[in-house]
Amino acid sequence: MKVLVTVKEVAEVEDDFEIADLDVDPRYLEYDLNEWDEYAVESAVQLAEAADEEVEVVSVTIGPERSEETIRMALAKGVDRAVRVWDDDIEAAEFLDVASKVRLLEAVVAEEDPDIVLSGVQAHDTGFGATGVALADAIGFEWGAVVNALDIEGVLNDGVARVHRELEGGIEELTEIDLPAVLTIQTGINEPRYASLRGIRQAQSKEIAPKTLSDLGLDFSAVESELFLTDMYEPETESDATYFEGDAGEQAAALASALREKGVGAE
Amino acid sequence: MDFELPSEHRMIRDTVREFCEEEISPIAQEIEDEHRFPEEVFDELADLDMLGVPISEEYGGLGGDQLMYALVTEELGRVSGGIGLSYAAHVSLASKPIELFGTDEQKERWLRPLAEGDYLGAWALTEPGSGSDASDMDTVAEKDGDEWVLNGTKQFITNANVAGSVLVKAVTDPGEGYDGISTFIVDPRNDDGFEVTSVWDKMGLNSSPTCELAFDDVRLPEDRLLGEEGEGWTQTMKTLDGGRISIAALSTGLAQGAYEAAKTYAADREQFGKPISKFDAIRDKLVDMHRKTERARLLTHKAATRYDNGQSVTQESALAKLDASEAARKVAEDAVQVLGGYGYTEDFAPQRFYRDAKLMEIGEGTSEIQHLVIGRQLGL
Repeated sequence: MKVLVTVKEVAEVEDDFEIADLDVDPRYLEYDLNEWDEYAVESAVQLAEAADEEVEVVSVTIGPERSEETIRMALAKGVDRAVRVWDDDIEAAEFLDVASKVRLLEAVVAEEDPDIVLSGVQAHDTGFGATGVALADAIGFEWGAVVNALDIEGVLNDGVARVHRELEGGIEELTEIDLPAVLTIQTGINEPRYASLRGIRQAQSKEIAPKTLSDLGLDFSAVESELFLTDMYEPETESDATYFEGDAGEQAAALASALREKGVGAE
Repeated sequence: MDFELPSEHRMIRDTVREFCEEEISPIAQEIEDEHRFPEEVFDELADLDMLGVPISEEYGGLGGDQLMYALVTEELGRVSGGIGLSYAAHVSLASKPIELFGTDEQKERWLRPLAEGDYLGAWALTEPGSGSDASDMDTVAEKDGDEWVLNGTKQFITNANVAGSVLVKAVTDPGEGYDGISTFIVDPRNDDGFEVTSVWDKMGLNSSPTCELAFDDVRLPEDRLLGEEGEGWTQTMKTLDGGRISIAALSTGLAQGAYEAAKTYAADREQFGKPISKFDAIRDKLVDMHRKTERARLLTHKAATRYDNGQSVTQESALAKLDASEAARKVAEDAVQVLGGYGYTEDFAPQRFYRDAKLMEIGEGTSEIQHLVIGRQLGL
């Protein structure tokens, strides 16, 4: 069995920052593994650990060389090997929209032929929340979105992903999805492990295979986006705080009438 | 010269930092208040392969170098001096000598459980009557048939009441001075006549147990002698050359923790209408704290790198330990000052770093002894 996990190195913005053109000035950015992907990696590794037969866990990333340290952290946590897609055309692309990413990932899926694809629900920086399900559609897999519990035995023994999904109003939905499938993994589904130091040392010699567009049988048209970023700015913040003056009794009375005005509290 | 850490070292440092911030930082003051050795934390450190960082993989260690070990120790010190001290004593003093001087059988029996983290280890040199003049000890081991009989008292021994092995220095040939000292492996859980007679309450570092030990006719088989008879003192010197690097790293961590606490506070705390970090008096203090911390770190990494290159480190490790321990105490004191009244309360971390830092100028050779060592190295 083979599990493919899509992982992304995301930019995290410092508290104080400036915007340069259409992006946050890189001076104010730090890079880390996308939080949702941490949970997807953990689910993948738990699948491999629970299996009697050999389960290979492969991660795929669209990202520059800089992202290798982040990818290696996933390798340290138990991913067997990694694929990293990047080249000058991708670098030059103005904006990688969901469709572009799906075209690249679709080509990797064709090469790797996985039984199950795990992806984070969304990326912490761009936040489209669409790559996983759009990929499922492109490759003709079943899919389950925003999964917050996964029955590992079902995946390994029955070829069925029994997943819990959290719906509005605190309702849980149990769905059975036949493999092959794409699952987008929600935070909280598990407790991502710390990489052990031995894992980090072993990860140094695990493979991160670089792939260019032409390696994947694609060309620059694969990253031509129909979506363009037009502006990026910090919105004006409106402060809507009211300070109540007076002693505790007067403050409580003022608070009570303010709440009543807003419609809070019983008749 | 390359001042960038290798990627592997950076990943290890970042992972340990994340673990320390999530799992240790929240309980760091509580375990000091309770004078509690946090066994559960050490179980987790064992799971992450941290208890044998510079020990060879053949005996269950990580097979890392001294620089990697220094980075891990610094990260522990940044959140908890007590955990960092028990950790450094376990690795540098209790484990490393068995790797350096033990037979294959001794390494299999005594080093593996330490490196794999089954239990912590301890090392017993200091006595009630001998500190800086450590070779003038009263603990003796006499040969009786094919056994050694150990008698004496050891003082200020880190980890002894939680340890699975204690390396004990004893006089085996009273007429031979430095050459009359040997090292023995004592099993505190199974050897009769071993007793922890006191666990000290201290100014700081109270999550790290500091014990007084009594040996009353402890009978040890011959295979408990570590290395050759009479080698105990030269082993001690080599052990401390490495051990001082870890105390320097721990001190750097204390300084870093104190500096960060002060910097964060100074950016938030407003007086006279602006953050106090914008006043020269506080900004200059913070810059100075950063300077001292960075200098301590550079000296520590230099000593560690030389150690890894197989070069002599007697001078470098003494210099790093002297400078970093002083930096830790001064930076922590300044951190208390930056926080003002809050800095003097136990709700804020600087007082804890201040208490913990003071020991760094005393343990594993006082600052006065470091001056002596460095002076000799300089030909003075």
